[in-house]
Amino acid sequence: MSTSGHPDGDAVVIRNVIKRFKKSTIRREYTTFKSELVRWLKGKRAPPEKSFIEALRGIDLTIPRGQTVGIIGRNGSGKSTLLKLMTGIYSPTSGEIEMRGRISALLDLGAGFHPDFSGRENIIINGIILGMTRAEIRARMDAIIAFSELGDFVDEPVRTYSSGMYARLAFSVATHVDPDILIVDEILAVGDEHFGKKSLGKMMEFKSAGKTIVLVTHDLGTVERWCDLAVWVDAGRIRRVGPPKEVTEEYRKAVALAEEQSMALGPAALAKDGGALPQVPVTPMAAPTPTTQNRWGNFDVEISGVRFFSPLGEVQAVDTEEPLDISIHFTTRKPVEDVGFGIALFDSQGTKVYGTNTFIESVRLPTPLPPSGTLRLSLKRVGLTPGVYTLDVCAHPAQGQEYDYHRGLYRLTVRSEIADTGVARPPHVWSLEPDRSVEELRPGRAAAEV
Amino acid sequence: MFRNLRELYQYRGLLLSLTQRELKARYRGSVLGFLWTFLNPTLQMFVYTLLFSVYMRQQIEHYAFFMFIGLLPWIWFASSVGGGASSISDRRDLLTKVRFPAQVLPATVVVTNLCNFMLSVPLLIGLGIFLGHWPSWHVLLFPVVVFVQLCVTLALAYLLSAINVTFRDLQQIIANLLTMWFFVTPIFYRVTTIPVAFREVMVLANPMAVMITSYQSIFYDHELPAAGPLAMWMGIAAVLLWMASELFERRREDFAEVV
Repeated sequence: MSTSGHPDGDAVVIRNVIKRFKKSTIRREYTTFKSELVRWLKGKRAPPEKSFIEALRGIDLTIPRGQTVGIIGRNGSGKSTLLKLMTGIYSPTSGEIEMRGRISALLDLGAGFHPDFSGRENIIINGIILGMTRAEIRARMDAIIAFSELGDFVDEPVRTYSSGMYARLAFSVATHVDPDILIVDEILAVGDEHFGKKSLGKMMEFKSAGKTIVLVTHDLGTVERWCDLAVWVDAGRIRRVGPPKEVTEEYRKAVALAEEQSMALGPAALAKDGGALPQVPVTPMAAPTPTTQNRWGNFDVEISGVRFFSPLGEVQAVDTEEPLDISIHFTTRKPVEDVGFGIALFDSQGTKVYGTNTFIESVRLPTPLPPSGTLRLSLKRVGLTPGVYTLDVCAHPAQGQEYDYHRGLYRLTVRSEIADTGVARPPHVWSLEPDRSVEELRPGRAAAEV
Repeated sequence: MFRNLRELYQYRGLLLSLTQRELKARYRGSVLGFLWTFLNPTLQMFVYTLLFSVYMRQQIEHYAFFMFIGLLPWIWFASSVGGGASSISDRRDLLTKVRFPAQVLPATVVVTNLCNFMLSVPLLIGLGIFLGHWPSWHVLLFPVVVFVQLCVTLALAYLLSAINVTFRDLQQIIANLLTMWFFVTPIFYRVTTIPVAFREVMVLANPMAVMITSYQSIFYDHELPAAGPLAMWMGIAAVLLWMASELFERRREDFAEVV
């Protein structure tokens, strides 16, 4: 591993890295007398190739200096292994890893903490384990203590600390190492909200100081907000590298697809293919093809198009206070009588915002259904918080197999002048009541009559 | 091997801090605190003195002093080898979470116990003076013997710790072996008690017998220790150290994964 400092260029260069682990089932984990004897009797052969797990199957990744990179992927996809390789805890089975600069890794908080020692003593030992010199630690001691907000507790034994205090102290030491490359594994959520913000602030400080940050997290929001680059690791390979929004979007879709196909989301690394998530089709509405990953049914009733209309015409984006029509065009292959239509709306986290169908609302549809036509669902007001939503549309009988199910194929962007949060925006007005007189406050369009 | 030792030197700050931590942590929270460093071997000495000079009479003058000379280096050796064997396998927290030089761990155990040993040497000399054994100029050779013992102990600790990561039975085997080793080493008795027929072999094959008879020569008999066996074990220690660092080098990439 090179530690030569390049003023700019790439901070991390990973070339075709493969990492295999010996499979450690409980019986195989340690050498026992029996296993040794058996092996010896069999002629001292090493265990066969199949008892290896390939955690990383050829990773190529270059991280430019000063970038904040978020690594995402499902459990067992190889994210943490990749981090440990970068940190130098593991060494690659083959391939090369070049880390250019001083590394500090926050894989675990409080390495080497001793419960009977005071916070101060532990700062020293932990700092040295993290690679600081004694002089450096002494110079930063006050800053570390101040950041941890422990106050006088810093001279008490660590065993008397609450878990929040423990984490704060550890985080505080780790972020004062002053690395060129900071490697973080899912520990930003340390302590209470206040400290969480401080930690993020510290991260931003690193970022603006031009340090390279590599972050593994399951919180896609963090990746979208803080990272310059997202890396999606899937089944031991890099599935996609790119702008965070795009990568997380595709990742979400792939996860949704996997769930829908009720893919066994068991231990990924043990699966034959490494537990890869399904491919997201690039052109979702390709011709009336039969069953695909996000469209299935027997197609007796076929949904041939779904469009969004505002009073001004067809739209892809709509203001939350505007009305919206969702039009569903359908054709039938044979006369069907038992049919209804349903929709479900999901936010970008995959949370169902709303779902309904013509059965539960007792909507009378003509029987039999005309050979083709358009069903229109009219919303007087969208009433959602700003964001990107996806729509499921379905034609189905009261019971049994769907005619045509479209999963997440339609995307609707909701705009708003007000950056409110949550999922839904109920029609509302604010009012203030001074004694004896009422006055209405009308912020923006929120108070538009509905 | 030199690379290994050089790296160990590079990480001396870490080694020192960990040693300090171990020394401080051992008796942290106890009322007598650091005094236990001296009390433990002293109390052990009383037990053995009672046993061997009152119950089973040994014809050795100043038996307590004689036995203390052998007991102290033995405690250093036994706790280093016993603790060293599991020094890597016990520290999963460090090895899997930070980039950590594994060779520091067995070294820490050996050095910590060396410190304990050195701290109790004044006690030994004090006891000698009390019983009329003023240290003679032969004491100048004491550091040499300590150095040879350090090399042997370090080599063993390295070998055992590396093997124990995958072969956990070793730490149990070692614990039992040490008890036996304790009694075949001339700590309670003069080496002349060993039957002549295999005295030579028993002493030469046992590094601790060589060390302890050397300490006895220096402090008790006030004469020069036999140079031959010491030189031989210095040579063996060098070979062992080389082997240990080769093995360590080859295995250490696996430590984080297997431990």
